[in-house]
Amino acid sequence: MNAIEVTGLSRSFKNVQAVDDISFAVAAGEIFGFLGHNGAGKTTSIRMLTGQLRPTAGRARVAGCDVVIERDRLKPLIGVVSENQNLYERMSGRENLAFAARLYGTGNRRIDEALDQVGLSDRAGDKIQHYSNGMKQRLLIARALLHQPQIIFLDEPTSGLDPVVGRDIRRLVLELSRQGVTVFLTTHYMEEADQLCGRVAFISEGRIVALDTPDHLKVAHGKKALEVKLDDGQTLSIALDDQDAGERLEKLVKSGQIRTLHSAEATLEEVFIQITGRRLSE
Amino acid sequence: MNSRVVAAIARKDIVDAIRNRYLLVALTTPLFVAILFRILLPGIGSLNTMTLVVDDPGDSRLVTQLRASPQINLIKAASAEGLPNEVENSEAVAGLAVPANFNADVAAGKQPEVTVYVNNKKSSIQQAVLKQMLEQRVLALVEPIPAKLSWIDVGREPGAQPQAGFNLNTMLFPLLLLITFGMSGALVVPLLLVEEKEKRTLDFLLTSPASLAEIVTGKALTGVVYSALIAGVLLAINHKLVGNWPLTLVTLLFGLSLVVAIGLFMGSLFQNTMQVNTWASMVLMLLLAPSFPTPGLPAALETASRLIPTYYFVEALKLSLAGTATAKLWGLLAVVLGCTVLALFAATWGLRRQLN
Repeated sequence: MNAIEVTGLSRSFKNVQAVDDISFAVAAGEIFGFLGHNGAGKTTSIRMLTGQLRPTAGRARVAGCDVVIERDRLKPLIGVVSENQNLYERMSGRENLAFAARLYGTGNRRIDEALDQVGLSDRAGDKIQHYSNGMKQRLLIARALLHQPQIIFLDEPTSGLDPVVGRDIRRLVLELSRQGVTVFLTTHYMEEADQLCGRVAFISEGRIVALDTPDHLKVAHGKKALEVKLDDGQTLSIALDDQDAGERLEKLVKSGQIRTLHSAEATLEEVFIQITGRRLSE
Repeated sequence: MNSRVVAAIARKDIVDAIRNRYLLVALTTPLFVAILFRILLPGIGSLNTMTLVVDDPGDSRLVTQLRASPQINLIKAASAEGLPNEVENSEAVAGLAVPANFNADVAAGKQPEVTVYVNNKKSSIQQAVLKQMLEQRVLALVEPIPAKLSWIDVGREPGAQPQAGFNLNTMLFPLLLLITFGMSGALVVPLLLVEEKEKRTLDFLLTSPASLAEIVTGKALTGVVYSALIAGVLLAINHKLVGNWPLTLVTLLFGLSLVVAIGLFMGSLFQNTMQVNTWASMVLMLLLAPSFPTPGLPAALETASRLIPTYYFVEALKLSLAGTATAKLWGLLAVVLGCTVLALFAATWGLRRQLN
């Protein structure tokens, strides 16, 4: 069963078409990457899928609920981590979660569990204004998980964080997926998408321009070649389609001159540039 | 409407507002103003004892009632003719000339005239409290109003403004209450809403089980709780000025609803704290304007002041404090209610428009 089903979803603001006729489906428990440059339509799409914004056309079902007419039923089934660190700064971490728990009607028992899940139990009493960006991000995830949603929307969850915190959050995302939570992820970091996502969609100017597994995208848009670095510093490229490729490679292996050997497939970033004509960070 | 969600939002805001120094100052300002009035205006602290000189040849019920009050010290006037001079040259706040046939005239519904010589050497507050107290005593005698009080200034400095018409009910107390409500309407409620927009926490609320109506109601409840709390303290401090408690409380509830609705409308219009701060003082002055004493206001301005919704609240409050439940009072409250509904409608429309 699909956790998210989107058909012909569109949204315009006055004369601007922010999202233009997008369609896709996300399976339950899948980590789905939604990648695009700034202004491509990612946040507008998330806002529509989380019931914050009405589509101007098309329809979407999230966790089995129509996002327009079943918003009240949808809200307890999803968790949202916004790209803005939208916590109450004058309140402590625990107070932020306690407020969310009261809104969702979950007990206080879940607060400790969620804090523990993101490793913030020992700093729960501190005011948010004294939290680092990484701590805030972890607390946002804890808040989104408090009511144990079926689907979690993560909008740039590792943006601006140091690599260690980023790695911790990626581990958490994988753990959630293992627990059966569907993850809808937007990120600027292609490596992150490559590492985490079962499938990715590229969105550009409001339209989905590619949708597949990262591997398929890389193979489809990359070179079939091997890159060989030799002990003398030379780098050779061996196209695998060449008839003598096997023979050349065998010779090099036998000569014992090979220092490193890599496939020359495209990175996801390169695929994105090829398809959209722009870098993701633009 | 989910009461758990509304209560959660209100509870969060009530606690959070105490931590927000800016909001805390806005909320407590009316209390500071009330204390300031007490310090700056001499006499308000010694309102418990008030001396009156009376000429009462007929042993009227009015004077009997006044004599029974522990707050009033009565001195018998030497003569009716010498009463003004006696007031001017004594510690008395005023002198009362009660006609000999007062009791009989009241019983006959003739409205006998009691002349009050107000000692202008006494503070404005003392004079105002006297006026309030006397009006209440006269009203307490019998319905409809049994006697007319005729106020005359004595001992007024040349060129000074007449004081006998000054009434605490018509100026100071409504002003303080309106400052309390105005702060709530022009600052506190809009800031509660705008801060959620500015810090993007509104996005979180909108993805939580809270609906827009519940969010708005939670904010309104916070405004109501704080304003009611401060107004309650002001009422407790000035309890002697309340002529009719049920009427006053009903009027305050209407006024509170009005300013909170105006606050929500402002909150729906503005996007950040700076915008609220820029406009709040102007809106506050506009809301407070009807409570300022404006004797001799040009007719055009008098008419213009009726365009301010708080005009109707202030007028209703004056009547409630005086204890007069007239058709005019209910008419004024109906206008207040109408303005409240209009402001709430505008606020909801504004927010929905922004969010979609």
